[in-house]
Amino acid sequence: MKLIISNVSGVPIYEQIKQQVKDAILSGEVKEGEALPSLRTLAKDLKISVLTVTRAYTELEQEGFVKNVQGRGCFVLGRGSELMKEQLICKVENSLTEAIKAAKIANLSDEELHHLLDILLEANIDD
Amino acid sequence: MSNILKAAKLDFSLVKPYSKVIGFTMLLPIAFAAVNRSILTGVSFAMCFIAMTTGYTFSVTEKNSMERLYGILPVKKSEMVIGRYLFVAALGAIALAVSLITQPIVLRALGENVALFDMISAAIGGLFLFALYTVFQIPGYYKFGSIKGRVFLYIPVAGFLVTLFLLPKLPAGTPMIHAIASSPALLIVFAIVLAAVMYAVSIWFSVRIMKKKEM
Amino acid sequence: MTNYLEVKNLSKSFDHFQLHNITFTLPKGYIMGLIGPNGSGKTTTIKLILNMLKRDGGEIKIIGMDNIADEQKAKAQLGVVFDTNYFSDEWKAAEAGKSISAFYPNWNPERFAKMLRKFHIAPEKKVKELSKGMQMKLMLACAFSYDAKLLILDEPTSGLDPVSRDELLQILSEYIEDGEHSVLFSTHITGDLERAADYITYISYGELFFSGSKDEFVDMFRIIKGGIKELSANLRSKAVGVRTFPTGFEALVKAEDTGAFAALDIEPASIDEIVVFTSRKEEAYE
Repeated sequence: MKLIISNVSGVPIYEQIKQQVKDAILSGEVKEGEALPSLRTLAKDLKISVLTVTRAYTELEQEGFVKNVQGRGCFVLGRGSELMKEQLICKVENSLTEAIKAAKIANLSDEELHHLLDILLEANIDD
Repeated sequence: MSNILKAAKLDFSLVKPYSKVIGFTMLLPIAFAAVNRSILTGVSFAMCFIAMTTGYTFSVTEKNSMERLYGILPVKKSEMVIGRYLFVAALGAIALAVSLITQPIVLRALGENVALFDMISAAIGGLFLFALYTVFQIPGYYKFGSIKGRVFLYIPVAGFLVTLFLLPKLPAGTPMIHAIASSPALLIVFAIVLAAVMYAVSIWFSVRIMKKKEM
Repeated sequence: MTNYLEVKNLSKSFDHFQLHNITFTLPKGYIMGLIGPNGSGKTTTIKLILNMLKRDGGEIKIIGMDNIADEQKAKAQLGVVFDTNYFSDEWKAAEAGKSISAFYPNWNPERFAKMLRKFHIAPEKKVKELSKGMQMKLMLACAFSYDAKLLILDEPTSGLDPVSRDELLQILSEYIEDGEHSVLFSTHITGDLERAADYITYISYGELFFSGSKDEFVDMFRIIKGGIKELSANLRSKAVGVRTFPTGFEALVKAEDTGAFAALDIEPASIDEIVVFTSRKEEAYE
């Protein structure tokens, strides 16, 4: 998993970590049951505060991506977990909303949009 | 090893870079002994000189702001201070031993006869002078630092002058003084007791000064 | 959670300066930055913790031990780095360690030798021949050789080049990695702390301004920027500090007060900006 910190993005560091971990989980790069880097080691490696990493990991746990096992580390939860499913659906909704917006700009009718989706679904069956 | 011993050892490592100067200070009085053909002169000079070199510990700590090191070491201030007295005493003992070994050899080579009694009286006289110098000097250094504190070196000198001046005017015949002066054993005991009392008072002052001091 | 340093209502008066009611707590396993402009009381606070200055009031606990009643026991667990070294400059690096080793029951000579190697300090070099960064690392090497649990550093980065400063931060992050060690770090170069510190204690002119997590501290404020005409009376009254210049202004505003100014450019504040703006009320650059 790649974790890099930008000093100029203006996004708080804990938020950057959270987002990158989430992306890695959602993309399947990090699998269920895998452990995240140890909190203190990650802080040392990125030269950031332990509390900042703690905050990122705590929020990831609250959002259902990982489970913190006292003294053993932070483990990635399965994609079957309720919260994770919600997150994934949310992502789909967001992308579809984007598509609808784009379709409106392109003057596509609802039928045409549905048709387009069907075509794309068929093309993706093999994946 | 007790903290006092450790503190004394730390003082030795402080003056280690000056060991050549100190060694020279210990050997120089051989010349005085030879010129005067007297071990009493030689030992007295040796003990006065070595008393002056104890200031090195204070000048080295000052130069390097080492009060900060003393501030962080897990030692009591009183242990640090008593350790310094122990270091000074040890330095004095070494100087005395060196003098008592080297000077008779040189004197005998020059054809002088050095009796055991001469050596003992030189040792006692030298130690007493050493004590007299250091008891004033050390609290002076603690209180006023290694440069201004040097003034305290002159207190014993002034004391000698006053004593010399007053001595003829004292009623010479008090039985106690007479008894002490006529018995070498009593003289030795008197000198030892006096030195012990002086050191106790001196240490008490130094500890008090250090405890009050903020760094 | 165990606390490695507890300072409660600490006070000390001098003729021209007063440290007043300083309270903060550093838990085990974290780095705390002690910040504030020069002369604000950082070094005084550290010297009071070390009992090198006598406090007028308050309470200090080092790893659970009273800093005066249990002074020696506490100091055996404590490592200290000052802005300049406290060894005799005639000592060789190896001698410096040897000279103080007897005072620490936990001193490990192999570890000291290993630390000198790790920090690239030649044992035969005299202290006065070492660079400032090397002297700092020599003090650290000593503290690590008796496994000091709490490390206190007073302005360790002043006068250090950026490479040495970065090395220091690296060393400190490694030091706390196992969760068993803590660091109190005073500095006026807050850039050093921007990332590595977990907690911030900010003392301004002898008074405690803030003590808590760094993220919380930075999150308390925002910087608002705009043209000089956009600096309304309302904004002026809400601002903690304002800097104006011919083409515009910058203001430090509490995060909760930014709502009314959403139309302006709002940015997160750096520790530096917070210290600068809170230390001087208003100053116009004409």
